[in-house]
Amino acid sequence: MIRFKLFGSVILLCCGLSRGYAQTNERDLKTFGYFQVSVSHEKSLTGSTENKSFSLQQLNLFLQKQLTTNWTAFINFEFVNSYSSFRNWGAHSLEEVWVSYRASNQVKLKLGLQIPTFNNLNQIKNLTPLLPYIIRPLVYETSFNEILELGEFVPGRAFVQMYGYIPVGAAKCDYAVFLGDSQNINSNPARGQTGVDTTRFFLLGGRFGIRTDNLKLGASVTFDKLDLHETAEFYGYPVADFKAVPRLRLGGDLSANLGKFTWESEVIRVTYDDDYPQFNKDKQFYYGTAGYHWTERLFAYGSYWVAREKFFPLQDRDIYASTVGAVYNLNEMIFLKAQLARALFKASFPSSLRETAHYYFCALSVVF
Amino acid sequence: MMSQCFIAASVFLMLGVKTATAQFAVIAHKEVPADTLTQAQILDLYCADIKIWNNKVPVVCFDLKLQSDSRDAFYKLLGKTPSRMKSLWLKKLLMGEGEPPAALSSEEEMVKKVASTRGAIGFVSAAKATREVKVIFVVAKKEK
Repeated sequence: MIRFKLFGSVILLCCGLSRGYAQTNERDLKTFGYFQVSVSHEKSLTGSTENKSFSLQQLNLFLQKQLTTNWTAFINFEFVNSYSSFRNWGAHSLEEVWVSYRASNQVKLKLGLQIPTFNNLNQIKNLTPLLPYIIRPLVYETSFNEILELGEFVPGRAFVQMYGYIPVGAAKCDYAVFLGDSQNINSNPARGQTGVDTTRFFLLGGRFGIRTDNLKLGASVTFDKLDLHETAEFYGYPVADFKAVPRLRLGGDLSANLGKFTWESEVIRVTYDDDYPQFNKDKQFYYGTAGYHWTERLFAYGSYWVAREKFFPLQDRDIYASTVGAVYNLNEMIFLKAQLARALFKASFPSSLRETAHYYFCALSVVF
Repeated sequence: MMSQCFIAASVFLMLGVKTATAQFAVIAHKEVPADTLTQAQILDLYCADIKIWNNKVPVVCFDLKLQSDSRDAFYKLLGKTPSRMKSLWLKKLLMGEGEPPAALSSEEEMVKKVASTRGAIGFVSAAKATREVKVIFVVAKKEK
């Protein structure tokens, strides 16, 4: 009996779903998504490391429902790095769960877990079919989490966002203002339930920009506070002074199209406002990508990325990467990608490190 | 037949199109509260930046599946290549902000769909526009 009920529920669920393309009945629950499968070859020029592997880099599954003319609900499940709970591989997360209200083009509201608008790439960093990259510009590449403190460069989550645009002649002035939690996921069981965002501080941020058909530029900012008392304790600094260190992220982005040529670039600066000159966790990131549409379907690009991190209190770490790649749009739903990258890692502590590596990637990105 | 010829002639004149291959008409459901639209407004409609007409009816855009002279001319009017438009629609879709227009098999089906769907807008060869739909006049700039 239970089996029949389960079978019936599955049938009912499937009947209620529809494929998410084209403007269809607004009451339907739409399911769609994409995945990217890749093969990579990494070779260190200074060491003996050499890795080759296939990977289901990312799978995103969306559920969307137009609740009324103005209200839309949206859920985004993300699975990365060949996710398998059985093998303890990869990760699965609820990336977005929000409902949006559209009063007009000038005023739109998004409530719930969401990726905030910051610079050009933050909001679309996970939309692999839209990006020519296989490995994304450093601070947007989830798999670099062990190399860089990605969450400190760009805001990952917000819970309330108001956004829209105001037409000014042929241009549109975009704005977005958001509120969320400061970055502070608890991974220490001694401090309470793990995985829960135990921050005591809010994150406030936004982006203001202007765009025309061929030019888009904007400035972004976030402000929050971090509890760094554990780090301070480790290095012997007065703990009380590090319980709420203000952090300011500033960003700028510029994208342009000129005939078959494209350009996109960003700059991010992260600063911590404390009273200790020797304390330094400041960070900087820059990237620029020049692209060319060889044909309607073939796009090639070259890109240069720089990430610089100061580590409290002594270490400096820099990564410089140059990359070239191409994407071929097979049929609007399937994209073939190739990318070569050369990365230079430099660190000054605990010992001087200078390592160069080459990376070769091929990938298939599919929208369904 | 006379009326179709008249509509076609009007559209041809209003669009100021110069080549025989570019004779197309932007058509809409009869109740759509607009008689003229600018190129920028049509682009906003097709990019889901404008989602609701002034009479509160949702905008429903239609596209043609197959390459045709009218489709090429329409995309040219929008100032985008077909692949660029598809890329914009994909971005809207994956960000949960909108959906691509339904792509129809023929211009006859386009006229039928636009005529029978409230808030609909589409495009066909000028000669295919009938009295069942409203022909939208495209103006270079927004009238004040």
